[in-house]
Amino acid sequence: MSSSRDDFGIAIRSALLKKGARQKFSLVFLLIVALTIFFLDTYQFKFIKVTRTLINDGIYRLTNISTAPFKLLPKINLSIKETFLATKENKELKIELEKLKSKEFQVEFLKNQNDNLKKILESDVKIKGKSTLAKVLLDKDSPYLKSIVINRGSKSDINKGMPVVDGNYLVGKIVEVNYLSSRVLLLNDLNSRIPITFGENSAQAILSGKGKRKPELEYLPELYVPRDGLTVFTSGKDGIFIPGIPIGKTEIDGEKLKVKLFSDPNQLSFVTVQLIKMKKENF
Amino acid sequence: MAIIYKNLREHIVNVIPLIILYYLSISEIDTHFSNFFEILSFNLQIIIIYYWMLKNSSILGNGHIFFAGIINDVVMGLPLGISAISYLTVSFVASYVRQVTVNISLFTDWFTFLIALFFSNLVYIILASNFSNIQVSFVEISYNAFFTFLFYPFIWMIFNFYKKIMILRIDD
Repeated sequence: MSSSRDDFGIAIRSALLKKGARQKFSLVFLLIVALTIFFLDTYQFKFIKVTRTLINDGIYRLTNISTAPFKLLPKINLSIKETFLATKENKELKIELEKLKSKEFQVEFLKNQNDNLKKILESDVKIKGKSTLAKVLLDKDSPYLKSIVINRGSKSDINKGMPVVDGNYLVGKIVEVNYLSSRVLLLNDLNSRIPITFGENSAQAILSGKGKRKPELEYLPELYVPRDGLTVFTSGKDGIFIPGIPIGKTEIDGEKLKVKLFSDPNQLSFVTVQLIKMKKENF
Repeated sequence: MAIIYKNLREHIVNVIPLIILYYLSISEIDTHFSNFFEILSFNLQIIIIYYWMLKNSSILGNGHIFFAGIINDVVMGLPLGISAISYLTVSFVASYVRQVTVNISLFTDWFTFLIALFFSNLVYIILASNFSNIQVSFVEISYNAFFTFLFYPFIWMIFNFYKKIMILRIDD
């Protein structure tokens, strides 16, 4: 009995303290270092905050470069497909060209009319105010956090809490700002809570991320009867978001009222950060 | 010339698991396949760490595991050090299992991997829910752990095949 307890102790001690010929650090030393870093980062010590900002910027760039070849693969695949398609289409187009020439003037007229109508439609929902366009550097999907990293930071006057939109649709808000990059918490993240308004009666609720594709509406008015297909907008009650930014359409899922987002959080390549003047950082 | 080539080949072959570990931590290439099947996600880093620490600890090394964890935290936006602690826990269980076992088979590895996975996730959950602002979804973590455990034999077979082409150093 005593011998087996001794063996257990020896094995534990050996696993924790033995460095081996090629290893510079023992496991126990590294565990202590990792724990120290964790607590320094968790309790927001200033020097570790600055260090983290520098590390973040460096690693985000490195990640962007390291994944570049994989991002190229779909493009190469697409261009090969396009070449084959183009050859086939070219033959068909030559035949159709003659037919289309006769309708050219009519088409041009309709196209101009269509463009003008589109401009009128877009101008109605345009979000006004100063904004900056940003490229999505990282959109690593994780079971823990639904967020993206963009290539704009405090250098571009970005602050924590600023709303981030894709076109005219809300996708999330800034939660971490580095000098050259920032992290955007997406609407479907578990930590995301956005005050919204929807329906003819301007019902108020909270859009709450659940880590799934579709966030849920919580704190709905009492005796509210859920309805499909209502457009959900930001209410601006939190004083952070501009009221009236479109988010998505309501969808009944069992007893829950979910929101199908207008902008797919997994398909973001460029986003716009609304540079709203803030009294203090909102997060 | 032949000796230089042989040494270079040996070096490259031995360093590949480490490169995969770093690349998985630093890159967007992830093992979360929610687009195909919403709950399907697994942690390949933990499998790599466990397998190579168990079979040949000189391939990875605790220092590299620590740095891979720190990089993973930065990329994922987690508190610094949380993945490093989680990975080092796996490394610790693997080192302990290596000390106390003689006959190693897929099933003994698979069973002991369950223990490593349990402690790794336990450490992660304790640190994340008690000392940080991150909300932890236990269901998501359970799915992740389940699929990591489920995929271990497949990765084990791939690594075992790879190990055969490696020129192994004497394990320290």
